Formats: sequence, structure tokens, C-alpha cells
Amino acid sequence: MKPGADTALNGAAPPTRSGMRLALGGLLLAAALNAHHTAWWCLPVLAAASIWHLRVNLRLTRLPPRPLRVAIALLLTTGVLLSFRTLNGLEAGATLLTAMIAAKLFETRATRDWYVILGAALFLLLAACLDRQQLWRLPCYALTLWLCAGALRGLDGGSNQAPALLLRGAGRQLLLALPLALVLFIFFPRLSGAFWALPTGEAAITGLSDEMSPGDISRLVESDEPALRARFSGPLPPPALRYWRGPVLHDFDGRTWRRQHGQPARMPELNYRGPAYRYTVTIEPNTHGTVLALELASPGDLPSVIFTGDYQLLAARPINQVQSYELSSYPQATSRAELSTLARRIDLALPHDRNPRTQSLATALRASARGDAAMVDLAMAYLRDGGFEYTLTPQRLGRDSVDDLLFATHQGFCAHYASAFVTLMRAGGVPARVVTGYLGGEWNHFGGYLMVRQSDAHAWAEVWLADRGWVRTDPTAVVAPERLTRGRYDFVGSSAGSSARLLRAPWLRNALQGWEALNAWWQDEVVGFNFRRQLDLARWLGFADRDWQALAVAMGAGLIGWMLWMSWTLRRALRRARPDALARAWGRIDARLRRAGLARAAHEAVLAHAERVAREQPAHRATLLPLARRYAQLRYGAPGRAEELNEFLRSARRYRVAVQCTTIPIVESNGIVSGDE
Amino acid sequence: MLRARLLERAAAWARKRQGEDLPPLILQARRLYILPTRAGVAFSVLLFVMLVAGLNYTNSLALLLTFTLVGFMLVGMYECQRTLQGLELTQAWALDSHAGSTGLIALRLANGRSATRRALCVRCRDTAGTRFDIAAGTTVSVRLFYPATRRGRVSIDRLELATTAPFGLFRAWTWLHLPLTAIVYPRPAGQRALPRSAALASVQQTPITGSDEAEWASLRAFNPGDNPHRIAWKVYARGGALMVGQYAGSGGDEYLLSFTGLEDLELEARLSQLAAWALECAERGAACGLQLPGCQLPLGRGAAHQASLQRALALYGEAPL
Repeated sequence: MKPGADTALNGAAPPTRSGMRLALGGLLLAAALNAHHTAWWCLPVLAAASIWHLRVNLRLTRLPPRPLRVAIALLLTTGVLLSFRTLNGLEAGATLLTAMIAAKLFETRATRDWYVILGAALFLLLAACLDRQQLWRLPCYALTLWLCAGALRGLDGGSNQAPALLLRGAGRQLLLALPLALVLFIFFPRLSGAFWALPTGEAAITGLSDEMSPGDISRLVESDEPALRARFSGPLPPPALRYWRGPVLHDFDGRTWRRQHGQPARMPELNYRGPAYRYTVTIEPNTHGTVLALELASPGDLPSVIFTGDYQLLAARPINQVQSYELSSYPQATSRAELSTLARRIDLALPHDRNPRTQSLATALRASARGDAAMVDLAMAYLRDGGFEYTLTPQRLGRDSVDDLLFATHQGFCAHYASAFVTLMRAGGVPARVVTGYLGGEWNHFGGYLMVRQSDAHAWAEVWLADRGWVRTDPTAVVAPERLTRGRYDFVGSSAGSSARLLRAPWLRNALQGWEALNAWWQDEVVGFNFRRQLDLARWLGFADRDWQALAVAMGAGLIGWMLWMSWTLRRALRRARPDALARAWGRIDARLRRAGLARAAHEAVLAHAERVAREQPAHRATLLPLARRYAQLRYGAPGRAEELNEFLRSARRYRVAVQCTTIPIVESNGIVSGDE
Repeated sequence: MLRARLLERAAAWARKRQGEDLPPLILQARRLYILPTRAGVAFSVLLFVMLVAGLNYTNSLALLLTFTLVGFMLVGMYECQRTLQGLELTQAWALDSHAGSTGLIALRLANGRSATRRALCVRCRDTAGTRFDIAAGTTVSVRLFYPATRRGRVSIDRLELATTAPFGLFRAWTWLHLPLTAIVYPRPAGQRALPRSAALASVQQTPITGSDEAEWASLRAFNPGDNPHRIAWKVYARGGALMVGQYAGSGGDEYLLSFTGLEDLELEARLSQLAAWALECAERGAACGLQLPGCQLPLGRGAAHQASLQRALALYGEAPL
């Protein structure tokens, strides 16, 4: 392509070196921000390709020949296919994009290629934004954006600029753009639904799952990650009532508890009595798809939630993003209906060849108990007085896990005791089931919400008593009563090392809580900003029933306001160059001469003007002419010393136009004084 | 093709709208035009895809990123236009040239602003154009070329001053309709030997070109435009100034270049031959005169004489202005 043709079509000169380096930096950072869900090999490949490209740029090596480039591209695509078995979805897509850009770097020369690379970097940044929205990532995202914007400014076709200069310009440009971004963010109408579903990744999410084996919950207790946040509009429930109900487990194979699939999804019949707690619960992504709610929640009018017969709130769609629900719960609610035959059979089922000693123990207890309630009390008493120890690191249990716990190890935590208790109940003929969820919650006084973490994970039991319905029974309460009341830090601290002791330091706790409150604000107000909140805003602005119009009007007004502000700011930044001290000093002399009717003509240089004035009016010969000569010397001569300039400025300030009464001033028609503009 | 036609119509419209420009001239907003470049269109598509993704996944962070980029692009658009706005064109002139070479146009542009104006490009028609930046508060002289294809008077009706600052996604431009006229001399061509006019014949024949330093009678200081073959490199290599050799007796030669005697050639070839001879005379430092039908130029020497000679050849057959 001829250089002329290139200019005509693209208006693009070759990219500058600074632009290329910033682009590589932005690309690498964008790829690194995706490192958590891309294939492990693609970031090193991209880094290697970048280094190669830099070496080509410094003329240390050459670009590989075309067959090799094609081979590299094919190899990388195959690599993506082997890693993910698909090219669809966010993970595979981000990996493919990274790999393809690595291949592209081997043939990048023209400006157009660099636009492609920057577009890919921005797309990778988008992928990272779609996948992760934590607050701490925000500075990383902003930095990537800044680098990419700086790189874009390096592609303007001008001469090379230092990277710092590019970044400065890009920073100003981004700061000017930010108010518009906020206006659009708040008022641009969002969609309430999706055009197509987000491809779900198989990323490991910590949290409860659909089943419970001994050991699962102790792994969770080590995790500090949040499980849910609840913001109450009213009083907080007391700590002993903070049972957050999650998956309910019915099926037991002697070792693992599982959910009952195909449970009829019908509205449960409950008597909602006693005080109600109203709150908004914000749930982190989970795999079990249950909306965690304080026991027992009323279904209310949540269209996206299914209320099952065992009082679970199942989300209609997978919870793979942070979600908020407004709920009300009645801790004193009771079951109204009779237990159906099917449900009774399900919640009495036990593998008959497992845990024989537990089964005989249950039979013995049953014989001495009068009624189901007494059976429950006897079993609880057995667990309380049997010398059981609450520990997060119990010995391993064998095939008959409950027998091992009750008669051999005597060690365990909530999951073990809930499992053992429900087994005892079922063997004794009392319908029972395991409920998993969270117990507790820490009050964050900065954010005004209750924070429940993965480490608050808990398992308890429910038994069916004919006159009271399903009754929550927590065997852990009798084994380790302090688990229910104590805070998380105290509780962990009793069995953990120095890091936990450090966590008990008040200042650190405050700092952590402040940071978490900031995160919660970010999550609620920014990440969680949606169409509903926009409509609330429109109503707040006074546009009842005309939400879309309100948003459009507000957006238009914001846009115009921003335009005015932006142009005004830029205009001020690009003000006229200020003349230097020399020109300003002569401007003052010019002004004096003009007032005296001796204006300098547009075509006249300073010295020529002074000579003309001296010729016409000899009175000026002694004052104006030497000053003009010194001016010309300072302006056009060899650079002089600072004292010379200062001396000139002093005498220029002292200069007064010599009075000559005899002449009539001649005002020139084009008397423009250029130094005074 | 369509693009070129549209641009031509837009330029004609702008010509009618703006009228003729006379320097000094400050570029005002009403004569500045702006369009996204190809990269700008591609970038807009990228932003649209990002917007759809953000809306679809109701992802606030993706939307915030997209909207920031939208603002970034709009600020850049404004900056692009501001790069040209307020730029002052103080002088413009076009230099004569020989057909087949490229003619030179010079512009003086003043940036009275406290920021560098970057990535400017000025061009005439479909030439490659000249790229330049203007630092804050400075004035630059910019040279660009006009295509000198055909002998005669050319009027450079339209120059395009454009910029792609700050990021190449937009291109702002203005059309300058300056009253620039240049004369394109005939292409100097022809193999015939310089005809010595019988009446004015001089005694000796000297070589036309060549750097036979032995034959140089004297040296004079180098001027831009001198034949590089005649630079006294030996003097220069000894650390002396750049000097040009002069032939002995060259001052005495006199030639009368006549249109007649070249009847076997067609018109343009004749003029080309005459132009080549005139240059040759100048090279030798010989005096020469010109005889064209309806135009007589007396013997003379020097750059001004040479220019009037070439002009006469260039305008031969053209209607007087």
C-alpha cells in the first residue's frame, strides 16, 4: 500500500513506540485480571509473545514467517479446545481471546493491528468485569483502562510522546468522561431481564452444597468469605434465633446426607404467628440455589422464588451472581398440616444395614420413652451426657459413620451431631431431617447490617412431633452450648492459632468491619444498581407512572449539562498561550505609545516602529530608540543573562512617552498592536 | 468510489459555503468538519457490543466501563475538533516547479494556544500530505507538495488540513480555499545539443556536467539548489566550506534558444527541449535568450531571468491571465 493511500483511507500514521508499550501493558494487565478463570497456560503464552514483540520492536529479532504464525494460531486454538472442550462461555471465550491476541502479536505491525489489540484488551477487561465485581478489583480495572486509554492516544498519528505524557492526557480525558459515565450509569434504562442467559461456569464456589458428608462443614469454617448480608428494617433477631435456613437434607446412605429431589413444590401450610422480622438479604453466589432466609420465611410475593414443602426458598434461576431479596420471617411460625404418608416414609428411611449399634441404641431409648417428645429429650440427654467433644478436627469416621461417632471417637462438630441425632430419631420412629444453613451473624456497625460468613455454616435437625409439627432441634446446642451464643472470632480463637488471636484485636476488627461495610455499600449501591432502583429514583424525582420518560429526561439533561461542563473545562485548559515577560513589557510600552497617538502599525516590527517614531518626533530618539534596540537584542540576539532581562524590564516599566506638544497625533486606521492581544 | 464522489460533493458544498480564504485566517468552528475514522467506527461497534453485554447480564461494572469509554470517546471527539479550532494560517504561497516533479506549497501556521496541536496533516488533492505537530505558542512553516503533472498555470483550489488527535478515532478537517497559483514549467527533456546561435557564437565549448575539478577555474560558496556534481568535495573533505566549482570562461557564452529549428518535434517536446536547454545554460552560467512565437526574451543571466524564461515556456499557448 502506498503511504498516500494509507493516509487517505485511515488517516493513520505508524503507531508510536510509547503507544505500543502502553498497549502491551494494558493487554497484559487485562489478561492477568482474567487469570482466575482462563486456562493456566494462556497468560505465560501472552507474556512470551509480548516479550517477543518488544524484541522485534527493538530490532533484536524478526517476526516469525507466515507458516509458523498460522501454526501458532492453530496450536493455541487447539489448546483452548483441549482445556475447555468448548469455545463458548466466559472462561473459554476469555482464554481464546487471550490466545488469539498472543498469536496476533506475532504479526502486528500496522496501526490497525494495534487497534485490534487494544479492542481485545478492552474486551478482556469487560470479561473480567462480567465475572468479578469485588471492590478491591476496581483500582486494577481502572489502571487497565487508563493504560489502554493512554495507548489509544499513542495511535493518533502524531510524533512520539513520552508514556507519562500519554497517560496524563488519557487521565484527563478519563476524568472528564467520568461524570458522563455516572449520569449514564444512573439514568440509562436498564433491562429487567436478559436476552440470553449467562453461561454458567464451573468455578468452585465455597459454600453449602446439595449434600453433606462429615468434613464438609469444617472446611467451610476455615473460610472467611461472606455468605449473606441482611439489612433489617426493625429490630434484630436475638443471636439464638439467627438460624439461616438453607438446603434441607432427607436421604441418608449411612455416610452422606442428600437433598430429596423431586420434592413436590407446593406451598407449605404454616401458621405465621408471633413477631415478624423484615429484612433484605443479599446472597453471594452459591451452588445449591437456595435463598437463605431466617427461619421461617413467608413466601410473600417473590415471583422468582419457589417455596417448597420443607420450607426451602428455591431460586427460580441459579444464583450465580450476588442477589438481593426482600423477605419477612416469623421465628414462631408452626406447621399446620398433617405429615403426609409419603413425607413420613421419606423422613423415616434409613439404610438398614448401616449403623447397627445406633439402631439398637435407638430401640433402647424408644423403649424407655413415652411418646416422641420424650424420645427427643432422651436422645439430647444422651448427647449431652455421653462425653462428646466439639472439635473442628475430629478423627476420621468409617463406613458406619454414626456408630463410629457415638461409640468410638466421641468427637465431631455440628454436621456429625445433626447426622447422629437424625439417625437416632429415625431409628426410634420419629420423622426427622437434617437442615443445613448458617447460624449467627456479626453486626457491622459501619454498614448497619448483619454479616453471615461461610464460617458460620451450621447443620441442625428438625423432628416431627404430632402436636407441634416440625420442631427445630439443635444437637450442637447440648454438646457445645457456647457455639450458639459466642461470636465467631471468640469461637474460632479457642481452637486456632495466632492469626485468630490477631483477629480479636479491636482496631483490626474495626478496620476489617469498615472495609467490609465499604464493600457492602459497593455491592448494594453500585453493583446491585438495577432497573427497579432506577424506577425508584424516577419516582423520587417526581415522575409517578412515567418512569421511562423520567429516565430519558434526566439522562438528556445530564448529557447536555456534561457537554457544557466538559467543553468549558477543556476550553479553559487550552487557553491562549501567555506572552512572555519581554512581550508583555513591550505590550505596555506599545499601549502607552498608542494612547499618545503613536500606534504601531500591523506590519511594523518593534525596532522599525521606534525608528519611525524617532524620525518623526526627535524627542523620542533618546528614550524609545535605545529601549527598542535592547528589546531587539534580547528577543533576537544570543541568549543573555537574567540580569539583562530584569534590567530591561525595569527600564521598560519606567518608560514614559516623551511629551511633544507641537505635533498633532496621527491615528492610523489599522493601528493594531500585536503584542497586546 | 462512492466515498470519493460524496467527498467531492461535500467539498463543493463547503467551497460554496465558505467562500475564498485569504490569510491571515483563524480557523473557526463553523468551517471544521469531523467524522469517525474506520478505527472509530470499529470502536463504536465494540462499545455497542459491550453495552449489550452489560445490559444483558445486568452487570453494573460492565456498564460503568462502557459508559466511561463512551465519555472518553466524546471527550476525544471534542479534543479532536479543538485541535484545529483557533489555528492561525498566517501565510501561504506556492512555488513554481517543473512538470513531472512535485511542486512545493509552503504554509505558515501559528498555534497561539498553551497546548501542542498534534497529529496535523495537510495535503493537496491525493498527495501523501505532510504530518506535523505545532508546539504551544509557536509558529511553524509547513511544506507540502502539489502534483505538477502538466505544464501551465495551476491553481491550487483546495488544501485539506486535518488532524486525528488525540487517539485516531476521529478525524477533523477543514478545506482551505486559498488563492494559490503556481506555474508548472515544461518537463525538461530532450537529448539535443545546445544550439549555439551563429551570431553569438563563443570560442570554446565547455563540458556541461561532470565533476572534473581540474577544469574549474574558480570556486564560489554553495547555494541550495546547486548541482551536487559541481560541489568541491575535496575542499569540503579538507575541512573547508561547501564550495561549488565554476568553469572558466563560462561567463562568456551566449545562447539564443529558438522555437524554430525544432519543427520535427511536437509542441510539448519542443517546449521540454527548450526548458532543458535553458537549465543547461543556467548550469553553465551562460547567458541565454528565448524566441517564441509572440514572445521574445533578451539575453540574460541569473535566477530571475531563468524563471521568466521558464514561465514563458510554461504559459506558451495559454490564455493570459
